[in-house]
Amino acid sequence: MANIFVIDDDAQLLQMVGLMLKRGGHTATLINNPFEGLEKLKEAKPDLLILDVMMPGMSGHDFTRHVRDKEDLAYLPILILTARAQDVDRVTALKSGADDYMSKPVTSHELMERIDSLLSSKQPVVKPGREGIILSVFSMRGGVGRTTLAVNLATALRRLTREEVCLVDFSPSGGQAAMHLRIQPKVSWDDLAAAERLDPAMLKDYLLLHQSGLRLLAAPMLPQLATKPSGEFTTSILKMLRERVAFTVLDLPPMINPAVRASLLASDIVFHIVTPEVVSVQVEVQATRALIRFGLNLQQKIHVLNQITPEIQLPASAVEKGLGTRLPFQFGFDEHQSRALAQGVPLAITTTQSPIPTVSLNMAEAIWQKIVKN
Amino acid sequence: MTLNQFGRNLVNMDIFTDAYRVTGRAAVGAGGIHAELSNPNSNFLDLHDAYISRIHEPGSIIASYNLAAFRKDNINFIVLTDRRDGVPVGTQHGRSIFTRGRPVPAYVTVPSFEIKGELIYEGKASPNAILTQALGRFLLIFSATASASLHPDISYSGDLILIHKERVGILCLEKPR
Repeated sequence: MANIFVIDDDAQLLQMVGLMLKRGGHTATLINNPFEGLEKLKEAKPDLLILDVMMPGMSGHDFTRHVRDKEDLAYLPILILTARAQDVDRVTALKSGADDYMSKPVTSHELMERIDSLLSSKQPVVKPGREGIILSVFSMRGGVGRTTLAVNLATALRRLTREEVCLVDFSPSGGQAAMHLRIQPKVSWDDLAAAERLDPAMLKDYLLLHQSGLRLLAAPMLPQLATKPSGEFTTSILKMLRERVAFTVLDLPPMINPAVRASLLASDIVFHIVTPEVVSVQVEVQATRALIRFGLNLQQKIHVLNQITPEIQLPASAVEKGLGTRLPFQFGFDEHQSRALAQGVPLAITTTQSPIPTVSLNMAEAIWQKIVKN
Repeated sequence: MTLNQFGRNLVNMDIFTDAYRVTGRAAVGAGGIHAELSNPNSNFLDLHDAYISRIHEPGSIIASYNLAAFRKDNINFIVLTDRRDGVPVGTQHGRSIFTRGRPVPAYVTVPSFEIKGELIYEGKASPNAILTQALGRFLLIFSATASASLHPDISYSGDLILIHKERVGILCLEKPR
């Protein structure tokens, strides 16, 4: 049984949703005014919030932003329930920080299913005293969609688990992750590295908050020397993140520099991205040899196939044969990605049923299952 | 759908003018919104609980009012999630005059938007005949999607879109299926 706040200016609908929740075994607090809702949230923290968009004086989107700005409510599950039923409304709701979206009218069964899903995903994955997980997304070849997959994997993990997820863009050549999230970074790991001392309280100021709840340690906008950041700095940062964040996703540059070496050694899983092309497979085979030479013969290595163009040069089976391993995660070409990049909305926070969000969520689910089982 | 004080249905809809998207509820009778739009006794349509967005930022609500009035002439199109809110669709024993006939894939342009969907037409469909002979001031496009001409990534889908005939720039038809 959960304590649920319902905020809607439509008295009839409020009563109806309240009745559905009571029949579903939940306690419902019905509020017909967003300002009163904000006041009530100061007094009590519900397990879930159901929110209308169209309310006089303050829209549901603005309400969600207010809630997300508050530290203690940043992770409160929010379900938007609105008559605005278009795709653009769904994206706006998710961008404002809501966790899920339903359009009116809604059946009792559908509503209960969504509520159960939101409440179950709220269960903490990382128990007290248990360390977080570090995941690297890597390829020695550029232009294979590495940042796209890292951003979407991080977003999918955040969406699925509601845990603290941090994306770190370790690229020294002008990061792209911020662009994918439409964040203009005022600080980056370069500023953090330049600070006199490094402590956890300080680190928090450098983690930029995306509307989805994802945090980003951005790369500097201006290209840096390839030797930056240092291995020692990288190790310290990752240690701090592991202690505080459930999932840290590293977007690694296509090179072996001190930061990449330290990251690969610290990672629990390394996703190697290959495209279905002969060159990509060749580069990956050579990269594996190089990594062994550098003492980075990683056990937790998973190959991921990413088709970045509509044309397929090699079938997946040929790529598997060339690499001598199977490809558990295969991203087909996603025509929506260019639009997502232009809008700064990762596909994994939308409900688009296309390859990138679908496979990203599958990856997140597999990681989550692995942790739950362990 | 809810009832207002006069026992009429209040149906949700998105109304599009040249520069704005307005979401709200209009009171309709048994003939749906199509009958209200075709009512020759009024040039206006009232919308309750109107929430206004700009066309190029359709997710952001810039203003809201309890009541808004539209000049019917200035409405480009209206998006409905359920065709039954727009027109009588008939019963299990027979379709209504609006839903009787064959579906014809159609493409319509209005200022700033292009709309794709299906016209339902009885007889030989020609763009000219449809624009001059179809009932009422508004054209009915079923299972339709309207995309902004300058921002094709912004689109609106509905079970029924009603398009003001006088705002139509182009009407194209494919052969009926």
